Amino acid sequence: MLATSLDATFAALADPTRRAILARLAEGDASVLELAEPFAMSQPAISKHLKVLERAGLIERGRDAQRRPCRLVAGPLKEVVEFAQGYRQFWDQSFDRLDDYVQKLHAKGRKNVRKSKQQR
Amino acid sequence: MSARASSSADREVLITRIINAPRDLVFAAWVDPKHADKWMGPVGYTTVTRSMDVRPGGMWRFTMSGPQGVFPSRVTYIEVVKPSQLVYRHGADRDDDPDAFDVTVTFEDLGDKTHITMRSVFPSVAARDKVVKEFKAIEGGYQTLERLEKHVQAGG
Repeated sequence: MLATSLDATFAALADPTRRAILARLAEGDASVLELAEPFAMSQPAISKHLKVLERAGLIERGRDAQRRPCRLVAGPLKEVVEFAQGYRQFWDQSFDRLDDYVQKLHAKGRKNVRKSKQQR
Repeated sequence: MSARASSSADREVLITRIINAPRDLVFAAWVDPKHADKWMGPVGYTTVTRSMDVRPGGMWRFTMSGPQGVFPSRVTYIEVVKPSQLVYRHGADRDDDPDAFDVTVTFEDLGDKTHITMRSVFPSVAARDKVVKEFKAIEGGYQTLERLEKHVQAGG
């Protein structure tokens, strides 16, 4: 994937309202009206966000002239997720284990130091 | 190396983490196989070191086994600065793996804690995507929007 399109995806995802819209669309298609409902926002404000998402290729609008339902497009999201997450998660989990392990080592080391001090 | 570094933004992954133990101990956990085998790899995996020689040009050869398969891996050390930095090339356990990537790990002393910064630079975007996909396969996780959201909120 080109860095520029990844930039567009990240830029579109930088806004919490737009992320919430995507989360809603992950559950199924919705009209502008349905999307505007949970937010304290006007329909035009939501429409602006939808335009940004559409330009980033994250959503598609249906042809139905009245409803124009929005649909999530998985492609770019998947690219962003795959960009680093598998690798990150590998290390996040490894680091969780490292943290546990060295904390135990550290505690054990301190006990041993105390023991050897007592023996002296 | 500098030409690579100048335009590597789309080929690198930066991961940072605070570990709750002093730096000497954290560093030791990376360079001693009896420690490294205890933590390397995601949950559900076991790592078995076949050999480890921590010095420039030396290798750490290990096999990771878990639910998604068996992965023979190789780390070739480029720089070793005890206890603050490791630079190495990470790849499959064969000579000249074209997808091998360069990793710089720095260990910053925060007293009782250690700040780890891990910068991985892949030889190309294609190699990055391939490796990330492989790691994803190893990790076996199913990605959801919520995770993505957390990732983006965390400034990733």
